[in-house]
Amino acid sequence: MNSFIAFIMGPMVWISAIIFLGGLLFKFIGIIQSVRSKEPYVFSYLTVKHSLRSIGAWLIPFFPKSTRLSPVYYGISYVFHIFLFVIPLFLASHIVLFNEAFQISWPALNDGVADWLSLAVIAALVFFAIRRQMVPEVKYLTSGSDYLLIFLVALPFITGYLAYHQWFAYRWMVVAHVLSGELMLIMIPFSRFSHMLTAPLTRAYMGSEFGNVRHARDW
Amino acid sequence: MQSQDNTMTDPSNETKQAEKAKQKATDPAIEAGLERLTPERIKKTINQVLEKETGPRFKAYVETCMRCGLCAEACSYFLSNDRDPRFMPAAKVKNTIWEMLVKKGEVSRDFLREAVRISHLECNVCKRCAMYCPFGIDIAYMMLLVRRICHKLEITPQYIQDTVNSHSVTLNQMWVKDDEWIDTLQWQEEDAREEFEDLQIPLDKMGADIMYSVIAPEPKFQAGLIYQTAAMMHAAGIDWTMPSTPGWDNSNMAMYTGDNEISGRIAKAFFETAAKLRVKRIVMGECGHAFRSVYDMGNRWNSWVMPPFEVVHALAFYHELLTEGRITIAEKYKKKVTLHDPCNVSRGRGLHDKAREVVNMVCEDFVDMVPNREHNFCCGAGGGVINCGPPYKGERMVNNRNKAEQLAATGAEVLIAPCHNCHSGLEDIIQHYDLKMEIKFLGDLMYETMEKKIYKPGA
Amino acid sequence: MNRKMEEKRSWDWHTELTEIAFEEWKTRFNWVQAPRVSMDGERIAAVVNLDEMAFTVCVNGDVWEGEYEKVWSLTPVSENGFAAFAARDEEWTMNVNGTEWSNWCDFIWNMMVSPDGTRLGAAFQTDSEYGVIVDDVPWEDRYENMTGAVMAPDGTSAAVVQVESMAAADVDAFKKGVFCVARNGKAMDRRFLNIWDISFDADARNIACGVRTDRETYGIVQNNSVWDNRFESVWKPAFLDADTLLAPVRSGGKWHLYKNDAPFWANAYDQLWHLTISPDGSQVAAIVSSPFGRWTVAVNDRVWQQSWDTMVADIHFSADGSCLAAVYKHKEFWDLAVDETPWHMAADMVFVPRISKDGSVVAVVVEKQGQYQLVVNKRVVASGYRFMAEPVISPDGTKVMLKGIENGIYKRKIIGL
Repeated sequence: MNSFIAFIMGPMVWISAIIFLGGLLFKFIGIIQSVRSKEPYVFSYLTVKHSLRSIGAWLIPFFPKSTRLSPVYYGISYVFHIFLFVIPLFLASHIVLFNEAFQISWPALNDGVADWLSLAVIAALVFFAIRRQMVPEVKYLTSGSDYLLIFLVALPFITGYLAYHQWFAYRWMVVAHVLSGELMLIMIPFSRFSHMLTAPLTRAYMGSEFGNVRHARDW
Repeated sequence: MQSQDNTMTDPSNETKQAEKAKQKATDPAIEAGLERLTPERIKKTINQVLEKETGPRFKAYVETCMRCGLCAEACSYFLSNDRDPRFMPAAKVKNTIWEMLVKKGEVSRDFLREAVRISHLECNVCKRCAMYCPFGIDIAYMMLLVRRICHKLEITPQYIQDTVNSHSVTLNQMWVKDDEWIDTLQWQEEDAREEFEDLQIPLDKMGADIMYSVIAPEPKFQAGLIYQTAAMMHAAGIDWTMPSTPGWDNSNMAMYTGDNEISGRIAKAFFETAAKLRVKRIVMGECGHAFRSVYDMGNRWNSWVMPPFEVVHALAFYHELLTEGRITIAEKYKKKVTLHDPCNVSRGRGLHDKAREVVNMVCEDFVDMVPNREHNFCCGAGGGVINCGPPYKGERMVNNRNKAEQLAATGAEVLIAPCHNCHSGLEDIIQHYDLKMEIKFLGDLMYETMEKKIYKPGA
Repeated sequence: MNRKMEEKRSWDWHTELTEIAFEEWKTRFNWVQAPRVSMDGERIAAVVNLDEMAFTVCVNGDVWEGEYEKVWSLTPVSENGFAAFAARDEEWTMNVNGTEWSNWCDFIWNMMVSPDGTRLGAAFQTDSEYGVIVDDVPWEDRYENMTGAVMAPDGTSAAVVQVESMAAADVDAFKKGVFCVARNGKAMDRRFLNIWDISFDADARNIACGVRTDRETYGIVQNNSVWDNRFESVWKPAFLDADTLLAPVRSGGKWHLYKNDAPFWANAYDQLWHLTISPDGSQVAAIVSSPFGRWTVAVNDRVWQQSWDTMVADIHFSADGSCLAAVYKHKEFWDLAVDETPWHMAADMVFVPRISKDGSVVAVVVEKQGQYQLVVNKRVVASGYRFMAEPVISPDGTKVMLKGIENGIYKRKIIGL
């Protein structure tokens, strides 16, 4: 059992990080090659300028009209995505691990703040889950996999929160936290989480079609 | 967002009637087509299209959609049908091509009957939803894929298929025969000489600056529009020509039924006619889908990244005539007007600001509708929907309720619709919802208000 | 061809300049329409208006005898003459050099002139029935619908005709196929959904066309049979000789060149059309695109080094097949490339080039900023014209005939090379 835990806490972290980064890289190369061979015309219309213009417009909070029509969902979603990256990257206990591995460190979030932010992420995920039930058009589209995705994201935050407060079996909670974090990283390239890669690409293409060809805005 | 207190009531309680009509509306072409299908053919055709004719784009769209539902607000069908989730863009994908993908093409005839309806009658492929999806997923593209599959399965609705048949035979959309076309031009030329003694509609003039092209409904039903343009061309001193040969029609319904091969053939004939006549630019009448065909879609199938000739939509051309002083306005139009931005020249070409400038140069009292420009609501007729014909008019009116509300809120007396499909669809809406509005092309107002004198350079 | 050369030889290649005051006509008539120039350059003609609904044709200042309600499609024909469609009392006919054909009809269009200018054909409609008329002899059989009429150099004619009536929007009837090729008016047996691009071989004994056999299946017809191979689409076929038919066909989303129902060129292209065979039959060329959006020319499946981003409009061989000229557009400008070498003229328009028999002389009219120029072998030999018709190269290749309007005067100029 100890060797299993040691594996989860040690090599598996590296393996999952490699799968996450390698998987996304592999996916990216696959997409580019596939576009080259099957839809090369895409490159005739794609421009850096219009891609960035569109991605940029959609990064400005409440700038696109669509986001103003659903302000609550969009606002929560926006903050959620920021926290999703900020918390794991700026948590003091994570930075210590980075420092051990790579001898690099950066300023950490105050633990108390991080604690509240984690709660906010969990609350956002609860909101997403409830929204999937309550808003008819979202409910219509929702299937089990959507809840599974929410659960997968929630798990590392819940376990992390519990571990930090040491409310239950601390050691097991840490293991569960690491394991769920690894699971999420591994899942990213192979699930709809991969929208972290594909969404900028689809946005770039639509932004180019609108900006470069249609001389119109797409936000 | 659409204000709720402004909700229209359907005058003749036709919602329910249309629901009934919907259940009844049988289309002989769809039914006969479904009858002919075997499970093997269905599976083979769907998989052929999904495997051979799509690529990473489609894959990315399927993998990227997070089912967030933000596209719903974009769609007139969703808004007009009391926010019924079935009409939201992502639901249309879910109920058509996702299912085909998941089931690997093993879908039933009933499923296909519904897929024909969703893709041909409940989506105008206006691409408004692409502006409301945070990821820019192109749902119109996927609806056109569904239409492509329906085309190959020969279950395209009857009337639009007849239009495509006409395209394939005559290279125009309304079975206009070669002699009828030329005869109509000569007749309009003759009529216009009442106003301008030496007016000509020059046929096949080699080396003219501009080839003017129209869609077939103009010679068929609205020849007066050709008259008006001829008057403007003549007054503005433009060196122009119209082709006497097939290739004169820039419309393209094949593009909307997924018959890409006929669509490409139409666009080829169009540009080769311009090349043969050695013109420098092509100006086209007030039509949106035709613009999309030659500017965006038909050209691509033929390996032209962009159209090989500059294609100037009437809106941009009027702007040019007015700003260059080639046409001057005698007296501005007095009635209160509003402007409908057609998807294919606004969202499709960014001509909305020029259009407003023209309207303001021609009319005294202009009120914008809300939303407008790229965000304007679709007319509900375009994308081939109105071309599916009279059997579907009842449900189209139900599906266009939010457009009626938007129009009514302007309080305008005159609606300017610079696109043929929009024009016909909006005319139906005005009539059905009893909106007390007149509908006009921008060219109607240009012609009505312009000074009937000949432009002299430097004068 | 020989006859054409003979005729060309007989033209006046010595008088350096002939002038006709064209603009002056405007003072004689209410208005003067676009000018046309005879093949030998000796005559200039235009449709002119005499009075309300009264038109005629003015040739070198002299008007045709008849007055008509309408006149259109004025075209140069042989014997340095002109033909046009003319209407009187709402009846139409062909008028050749002022002489009306004996046959009149409800409408006439699609002027077809044989390469030597001696044979004349047109499509016509009478009582809503359609046919082709060649040298004043109309088809005996008429049809309710007709498209794509063509005429071979010897006057053989053909068109796509509808042989069975269809009710409005009858997609089922359409699906069964109601169109045939009619050759000299006689409908052939096979019916198709669509028929396009009828082509003849040199002697007009063989006939070919592209067809659609069902919703998404296309084929090539060679005389009475359809090739076994089926395609996603096809473009206009061309005969290499009486027994050899070539056709651009699409399969797997790419275009290929087939010969007698089998692959001919090894390369596949994003586009392949305007199949052009040199008059001596030695070279096969086509306008091609590859990769997407790049346009160039392939000769015997070898692609030119240069490619352009907008279009190649047309390609032209010299009679001996040694020279190939392509009119193309790149980055908003028109240009000409001769045997892969661009002329770099950056013109607003390039008209159809003329090439001497041995390919040594290429002459072309171009337009820049509203002014016409004549360019011969890359050298501008005349400019500042308001209008120019296509030039003529003398049979011995030593002179070029310019036909153009400068300062309101029509000029026929013989320019030594």
